[in-house]
Amino acid sequence: MNAIELPTATMSRSVIVSMARVNKSFGTFHVLKDVDLDVGRGEVVVIIGASGSGKSTLIRCVNGLEMYQSGRLTVDGFNMPTEADRAIGGEKELASIRKGVGMVFQQFNLFPHMSAIDNVAIAPIRVRGRKPNEAKATALRLLERVGLRDHAQKFPGQLSGGQQQRVAIARSLAMEPHIMLFDEPTSALDPEMVGEVLDVMRELAREGMTMIIVTHEMGFAREVADRVVYIDHGRILEIGTPVDIFDCPTHERTRTFLSRVLRH
Amino acid sequence: MTGVVLRWLRRNLFGNPFDTALSLVVIPVLAWAAYAFAYWILVEAHWEVIRGSLKVLMTGIYPTDQLWRAWFSVATLCAMFGAGLGLAVRPTRTALTIVALAGTLMAAIVANVIDVPSGMLTTASASLGVAAWIGVDHSALGHRIALPGLLVGVVAIFVVLSPPGFEVWGGLLLSIVLTIAVSILTLPFGILLALGRQSRIASLRVISTAYIETMRSVPLILVIYWIWIIVPLLAPDTSVPGLLRGMAGFALFFAAYVAEYVRSGLQAVPKGQIEAARSLAMSSWTVNVDIVLPQALRVVIPSLVGQILDIFNGATLVFIIGLTDFLRAGQMILADPQNSGRTYEIYVFLFAVYFTIGGAITYASRRLETHLAKGSR
Repeated sequence: MNAIELPTATMSRSVIVSMARVNKSFGTFHVLKDVDLDVGRGEVVVIIGASGSGKSTLIRCVNGLEMYQSGRLTVDGFNMPTEADRAIGGEKELASIRKGVGMVFQQFNLFPHMSAIDNVAIAPIRVRGRKPNEAKATALRLLERVGLRDHAQKFPGQLSGGQQQRVAIARSLAMEPHIMLFDEPTSALDPEMVGEVLDVMRELAREGMTMIIVTHEMGFAREVADRVVYIDHGRILEIGTPVDIFDCPTHERTRTFLSRVLRH
Repeated sequence: MTGVVLRWLRRNLFGNPFDTALSLVVIPVLAWAAYAFAYWILVEAHWEVIRGSLKVLMTGIYPTDQLWRAWFSVATLCAMFGAGLGLAVRPTRTALTIVALAGTLMAAIVANVIDVPSGMLTTASASLGVAAWIGVDHSALGHRIALPGLLVGVVAIFVVLSPPGFEVWGGLLLSIVLTIAVSILTLPFGILLALGRQSRIASLRVISTAYIETMRSVPLILVIYWIWIIVPLLAPDTSVPGLLRGMAGFALFFAAYVAEYVRSGLQAVPKGQIEAARSLAMSSWTVNVDIVLPQALRVVIPSLVGQILDIFNGATLVFIIGLTDFLRAGQMILADPQNSGRTYEIYVFLFAVYFTIGGAITYASRRLETHLAKGSR
């Protein structure tokens, strides 16, 4: 991956997520307006924008946590059912998609009644039908990878926010996803814990994981993103390399937004 | 020491003129009432009536030569109670001492009132309960088999007690077995209703909601009577024993309340939990069984234990379908002209037993609440 590569040149590698004219509303509130976005395998895409602009909704559509009404969305070779499809059953397709898509939430959402290792092992056991012993061995390796091997037996309530978020990342990785979604993974953390989570994400990006990240950490975005997407009132206004977006944004709105978030 | 007592008295009872006046009236009245009651219990009351009718109070008209079956049930109940305790409360030295003292006292009373073999059986049952408590608390295996063990225990009690016929079950034994069986039956039914009420399938949702609201808006006694009448109409050729019909009525009625408790627990589980589970591709079944229900039930366990008390107290209503529960057994004894002067003795005894069992359940529910609150930080 080099910096000269054209930002939209995803044709050179296979596309894993493809959105074409995707529209989504909550009742009368139109959240996503004709969103077009292709994400290539191994690419790291960072989505930025003001709160309420629809960036979380956008990535929540990618694993079907939000339903979209019109347009075309394919993930990893599967067509994501629309709201109308899901009303008449399309849940099986959804499960196939979710098996290949990991998600990390702002509030971690670890299962509080399970130890860290069980949090990581439960989905492979229940969804992929792995043997508990094997799944736990894998879980332990993953916890080691995020630096929490010694905390494997602790419960979420006994871990700090940063540690919980790293367990959550390990939990997603346990399903061996082809793509990882991060929905403001550091926004609920105390400042001193942001670094440990970003380190794990940086490492993942280096290993070639496809990632779509919603974040307010602009320094991190500049560092790891292949492309940055600026979204405003449900519309993608600009897509470009970090250099394009951060240093010479073409849109007035992008400039205003960046000057507001970069000033402090 | 006396200083502390005096200070406490001063602050709480004689703090200001009004308190002082109130205390001067209330304390002598209470003291007189306590004295009169104690005098009646220790001197005037004729407790032989209890000794003579203990068998009826405890087991109703259960055949005397089959009483070993009742003793088996007592031992099993003790073991089940111990196993249940082991899941929630540590057997500390103090707790064990208290239980040992209570057990010994109980055994001594039984040996005195009935006979020595019964006293020994009581001791054995209590020991079994303590053993189950320690066993479940100490071993991981015990923890795992405790809940299935409770089910096996209930089934075993039914199998062992049933040969003489359901119609001879009675007394305190009937009340307790009915309570436990109904408590267990309502749980799966109530959970299903609660899930049904939240289902995305409209027909399931409507049926569950209608069922729950109907049951909650009619009196228990009506449901029991209604099931008792309706079962023979539905199955005219088979005769379903009154006890089973009564149990069905209780279970159908209380399941609606369990459903509402469980629903409140389901609502307490954050939405993010379901989203996280769904994003891991878990099926609806796995999401409910592995993620949502364990968290939801944890929240409502104290209420569910509290409801066991409602069922136990409600069990007195089975007399309307001709069953002889504990309270009814007491009334039967009073119906004997020979005992007609012993009304107070019988009712004080009934009161004491109900109070002890009810108090124990309330206490257990409280303890569970603090225990669970501590566990989930």
